[in-house]
Amino acid sequence: MSVPDPNYDKDGVLRASIDRSLRHPVMFFFTSGAAWLAVAILLGIVSNAKVTSPDYLGDCSWMTYGRVNAAHQAALIYGWGCQAAFGMMIWLMARLSRQTCRNAGTILVAGHVWNFALSLGIIGIFAGGGTGMPWMEMPSFAWMPMLLAYIGIAIWSMVQFKVRPAGHTYISQWYLLAALIWFPWFFGSSHFLVHGFGGSPLGAAGVNAWFRSAMLLLFFAPVGIAMAYYLVPKVLGRPVYNYSLSLIGFWTLAIVAPWAGLQKMTGAPIPNFLPYLGAFAAILFAVPAAMAGINLLKTAATDLKTVNESPTLRFTVWGLIFLLVFGLASVVLNAPKIISITQFTISGYGFEVLGIYGFFSFIAFGAIYFIVPRITRREWLSRRLIKMHFFLSIYGVSVVVLVALFGGLMQGVGQEDFTQPWYNAAGFASPYALATTVAWSFLLISNVFFFLHLTLMWLRLGRRSSHPTLLVDPHHDNPHGPEGDIDNAGSMVH
Amino acid sequence: MQDSSNKPDLDESLNVTESHDRTVRDAAAVQREKHVDEGGREPMSLWVFGACAFILLIAGLALGSAGTLFNYDETVRPGYVRAALDGGDSAGPPPAEALKVYMAKGEKIYGKCIGCHAPDGKGGGAYPALAGSDWVVGDTQKFAMIVLNGLSGPSSTGKNWGVMPAQGIGMSPTDLAAVMTYVRNSFGNSVGDVVTSEMAAEAIAISEARANAGAPTSADELSADHAKMLPGEPLDPSTMLDPITLEPVETEG
Repeated sequence: MSVPDPNYDKDGVLRASIDRSLRHPVMFFFTSGAAWLAVAILLGIVSNAKVTSPDYLGDCSWMTYGRVNAAHQAALIYGWGCQAAFGMMIWLMARLSRQTCRNAGTILVAGHVWNFALSLGIIGIFAGGGTGMPWMEMPSFAWMPMLLAYIGIAIWSMVQFKVRPAGHTYISQWYLLAALIWFPWFFGSSHFLVHGFGGSPLGAAGVNAWFRSAMLLLFFAPVGIAMAYYLVPKVLGRPVYNYSLSLIGFWTLAIVAPWAGLQKMTGAPIPNFLPYLGAFAAILFAVPAAMAGINLLKTAATDLKTVNESPTLRFTVWGLIFLLVFGLASVVLNAPKIISITQFTISGYGFEVLGIYGFFSFIAFGAIYFIVPRITRREWLSRRLIKMHFFLSIYGVSVVVLVALFGGLMQGVGQEDFTQPWYNAAGFASPYALATTVAWSFLLISNVFFFLHLTLMWLRLGRRSSHPTLLVDPHHDNPHGPEGDIDNAGSMVH
Repeated sequence: MQDSSNKPDLDESLNVTESHDRTVRDAAAVQREKHVDEGGREPMSLWVFGACAFILLIAGLALGSAGTLFNYDETVRPGYVRAALDGGDSAGPPPAEALKVYMAKGEKIYGKCIGCHAPDGKGGGAYPALAGSDWVVGDTQKFAMIVLNGLSGPSSTGKNWGVMPAQGIGMSPTDLAAVMTYVRNSFGNSVGDVVTSEMAAEAIAISEARANAGAPTSADELSADHAKMLPGEPLDPSTMLDPITLEPVETEG
């Protein structure tokens, strides 16, 4: 520690130049993603309110449940999830491959194309042009520009990986490269099979089921895990607890995850083994989830004080806890006997929210709290805003997930009693839908804080300071406050 | 490492050392970063592997219940009838009057006949009507022989319609009974009786014992050998039957 690393400054300059080269596209993805998240949450509140009060906003056709809910999911997945993932991917791959980005303009243009196609797609859903397939709901004109935009965004990260300095490949790069390749594979082939060929509707439903699973397990999961494998050791300055296990976890995911998805077609007239195989793979997803989650939580457990103080780590560690819950839910929901009960209930929605908002978004928030001060060269303005964002998000997501998973079980048990009208079974779920509406309102408030904070940072109105914004009581351990210490020799946290 | 021409804040008029210092100072967050270390070799606890083995076990259970690749015996059972409920009150579909039960079954089987005799039983074109036909509403044995073996030559009206092919192949006694009951009580026909499965079984036996078995029957043969009702106990049309088994049901009260 006492001997300064001669490469330390050089490293710092390189990092700074990488961050600077990526500041426009990364900030664009994060701010635009956060704006879409606000839209998605608003639509989520409306669509959940319609479950309990079907007449709410029911008079105009474009605000009917089928369209609002489809738009809610499209905005959440493609507006927020994918864009947050893009921002994280291009930044992390550039950092780990030690390459400045030479194509920021192209990425920015491609990002605008993505947003434009997505906006038209969501307008298409509201206009009644939805395809009726969850997560592929946007009219068929939207997917090709989105795929091309993706290539314009992601291809440079592959190039950066290719020309990286020779040597070791860090675990995050494995996950990132896999996600970079998997996304165009499943996104392109699924949309091509559904929209390109006029195949049977049954085949389209099967492809759609696989696509939804792939989106979660082959895109959001590897990107989130890659980011966590970077953030936790980075902020703590400690090695990953057991590095070999992280590699085993990656290859387990790569082998298992592509098989999952068709368990959603249980009972459909498709080849008999496919739903069982899908359930098998979906249950096995818990293994790589547990390996990554436990490995990183064990790493984080070595320094809980830092975890508690750093906004990045607080979000990331909770994202990892949600990853473990996500794996557990994958086991429980797909176990034999249970799958037949929960197949047609709101528990599937809870599972997806758990994956996208609980696991992935928390790690994305952590990443944003880490990346944005570096690319804007300003520190976060207010620890209070961060705390509000954190606690409201935790409460909101936990309630949505718990309520949807258990409400789904109740609804499923109700549906099994086929002597009763289906209306009664739906009635079982309605108190849970009410709770979900309230929880989405929590998330809306939390996201208002987050979006406001991020916008101020984007406008370069952040604090000019050499000290990070930490979640500590300012009057507690430093009589001058963390900002009072100006010689950059304070806590080396963050 | 870096291409200074790409960097707006590092043009040639600047002193490189100075701008380097500024980069370091401005990018405090970057400068205080720690290195990512891959050297972690801590032993992973046994319970992690135990948990993974447990997950594998549940996954194996899910895959184990799959059976063979394309075997649908578990999911699609031929002749499947929904099991009676535990409650007892609503065990199976409710019983109904015999005539209605046979008619409902016969209506489905009549789908075979629609092509020629038309949905309203009035025939048309090159095909005779069933509505109001003497052979349909008359002796059940005549009617059964025509259905089972087909007909060649003139019909009950005396008009020669050519040959009607045999319809009896693969027809169970219940099917025959149901379709005969349906035709005898539809399209304006209203005999009001039920041709039972037992009668239809007799009809099939008689048909197989015919002198020229397999060939279409004719008006002469019908009036010579079959001008009578089928043997068998007549069934009261208002008897309550189980709509699936067609067995009489004990009704309360």
